[in-house]
Amino acid sequence: MRALAPLLALLVALALSSCGGGGGAGSATRADTVPVRIGTKNFTESEILGELYKQALEAKGLRVDLQSAVGTTEVTNAALRDGLLDMYPEYIGVLLSEVDKIVKRPAGEQAAYRLAKGIEQRRGFTLLQETRLSNEDALAVTNAFARRSGVRSISDLARLRTVRLGAPPEFENRFEGMVGLRRVYGLRKVHMIAVNSNKGLEYPALENGGIDVGLVFTTDSRLAGGHFTLLRDPKGLFAVQHVAPLISRKALAQHGPILAATLNAVSALLTTPIMRVLNAEAVHTPVREVAAAFLHTHHLGA
Amino acid sequence: MLRRSLRTQITTRVLTLSATVAVLLGATLILLIIAVTGQRDAGRIAFASQKALTLTSRLETSLFAIENGLRDYVERYPTRPLKPVTTLLKAYPGQQRALAQEVSGDPGQRARVTEIGVKINEYVIRATPLITLAKEDPEAARNQLFYTDTRDRVEALGKDLRDLADRERTLVAQRENHAEAQSTLAIAFGIGGLGLVLLVVAGGTLYLRRAVVRPVVSVAQATGQLAAGDLSTRVPASREDEIGDLARGFNTMADSLERGQAELERSNAELTRSNAELEQFASVTSHDLQAPLTTISMYAELLERRQAAGGEGAADLIDGIRGATRQARTLIRDLLEYSRAGRGDLTLEPQGAEVALDQALEALAGAIEATGAHVRVGSLPVVLADRSNLCRVFQNLVGNAVKFTRGDDPEVSIEARPDGTMWRFDVRDNGIGMDPDSTRRIFEPFRRLHGEDAYAGTGIGLAVCERIVEQHGGRIWVTSEPGAGSVFSFTMPAAQAPGGEPAASAPPPVTAAS
Repeated sequence: MRALAPLLALLVALALSSCGGGGGAGSATRADTVPVRIGTKNFTESEILGELYKQALEAKGLRVDLQSAVGTTEVTNAALRDGLLDMYPEYIGVLLSEVDKIVKRPAGEQAAYRLAKGIEQRRGFTLLQETRLSNEDALAVTNAFARRSGVRSISDLARLRTVRLGAPPEFENRFEGMVGLRRVYGLRKVHMIAVNSNKGLEYPALENGGIDVGLVFTTDSRLAGGHFTLLRDPKGLFAVQHVAPLISRKALAQHGPILAATLNAVSALLTTPIMRVLNAEAVHTPVREVAAAFLHTHHLGA
Repeated sequence: MLRRSLRTQITTRVLTLSATVAVLLGATLILLIIAVTGQRDAGRIAFASQKALTLTSRLETSLFAIENGLRDYVERYPTRPLKPVTTLLKAYPGQQRALAQEVSGDPGQRARVTEIGVKINEYVIRATPLITLAKEDPEAARNQLFYTDTRDRVEALGKDLRDLADRERTLVAQRENHAEAQSTLAIAFGIGGLGLVLLVVAGGTLYLRRAVVRPVVSVAQATGQLAAGDLSTRVPASREDEIGDLARGFNTMADSLERGQAELERSNAELTRSNAELEQFASVTSHDLQAPLTTISMYAELLERRQAAGGEGAADLIDGIRGATRQARTLIRDLLEYSRAGRGDLTLEPQGAEVALDQALEALAGAIEATGAHVRVGSLPVVLADRSNLCRVFQNLVGNAVKFTRGDDPEVSIEARPDGTMWRFDVRDNGIGMDPDSTRRIFEPFRRLHGEDAYAGTGIGLAVCERIVEQHGGRIWVTSEPGAGSVFSFTMPAAQAPGGEPAASAPPPVTAAS
């Protein structure tokens, strides 16, 4: 009789496990273990933002699948719409002009946010609380080039015979890119040279004369050295670019209020100067460590 | 007792042997099962690995086809069909799952499959949005192609998958070798085990033959000898097991048979002797009784004749009749005495032989005085005897000694001396003695060596003595020569060991049946 006891225990265990597999408790557990799929664009700042959101969520006990450097804005946004991602940090100006193809500029930064949020709501997405970090696109030349040609603003480029402009390939088709430069500033003689901006090749290209003008981000730490001149944008082609997490409403519903609350807490910390510092650190420190150190300082990390 | 019997019983030994054989057979069976399992595992591993290798190559082909098809679709939008790409995109997760199932259980391989799965997911997240993008803005999508790293990713995945396949081949080869080696080893041990089983069975059979069959056969042979009449047959019975029990039982039976046989022979001899006695008794009795009857009849005829003749002198004839009648009565009394002697129960108790002798001498006082015999009595012991019977023996022997005197100054002496566990009594006289040939015959009933005219008596006395002495477990004999007197000797059981210290208390009376 005693020999039967382990056998009985085994049978009971098997019965229980087979019952549990089909029960409601099992599906609840599965929902909990589904990760939040975060994507980032293929440049350092976006990757830092992705790491910040990821690590903050993980510190709250959520599982996160971070896809760093998914691609350009176009690819990353398409991945979100294809359901391959749940969220990614987006620049509101880029969202309006490149994704939503809105050419007319909203009256102000808040209006732009409200407009973009409304559009995304209708698509099944939403913009969470925006950061005070603004990374605008800008055109830069070397100080030497500026002195030699007397170019100080984008409008001045029209006076030059030919201009070689270095920018990532997607710049060719964007309104806040070659399209806008031609339409708004009437620049006809500007030729775009595709440069891998994720690898920061604009700066060496500018310095060695490979290009005359480079597309840069205003939060780039390399602008601080004083070797480059940012061209003024008198016609306001390049929009103010506040960052906000663009997220699917389905993911928000699935993971509960903790998801939005945590992402908002991270967003509230971010400003343009802070981002410039983080970018500077990321030049020689892995992005993951930069993010971890920052979150730790602000008690949001693990 | 139980422990000893458990250790030595043949049953235990047979059980132990059976258990050993069973355990060995079981172990051999398990080894052979392991061998078969090993072979089957080797086959299964080879089959699964073949599937895993096929799946690896198929997955690699799928990924390259997705990448190429996707690029082709985006670059030449809208001229190229999307269906091949979407079909492959639907198919690859199944291939991936199948690969995860079929790849060997090695943790490293499983980790590699998981890692490849992550990388495929990363690739798909980066590549497939281009399809959506191409439909919305073909030009922008084409620009993305220039910039995206999906081809690098697919090539890296191809390398990972080929690496996985290489490792799988190595692992499977190792596992197959291991399983086959295990199987070979198990077969070797299994065959060894079977050999061992055969050895144990053979050894056990030999052992049982020696330990069980041979002793049983020897007992059977002894039984045959016993049945053939050799009652002294015995078998060795030192063993402490069932065979020992059998041997002991056989020996006990043989003892019992032998005793029974001896008893039978003894009682047979007794019967023969008593039969002869009876025959002689009948002839002697008829003869001896005939004599006085003939005398009486003759005297009666004479008396009748004298009476008819009117003669006188009847008185001597009447005396003659009376004498013959007395003689007949004596004969009948002695017959009665003889038939009683040695019959019936004896009351054996310690008896002073001197007391019995005194009583006998008292009864013989007249005869002793008449012959003027001189009776000398030595120191006599206490014996285990029936008092009146002992007295009868003394009376008969002393009476004979007094009766068969020779000339003057007859002398009779009675002495005793130890003889083993018995006392031996010697009744010595200096009488007529007898021929040594007669010393045995005189104990036969009614055997007389002399005519009645020479010595009175029926010849029953010694026969009675013999019966009494033998009933007491003793014997009686005579040593004599004509003219040199006789020594009648008999033995009686001692009340205590002769020559030993007197017993503190007398032994309890013993009653023996005849």
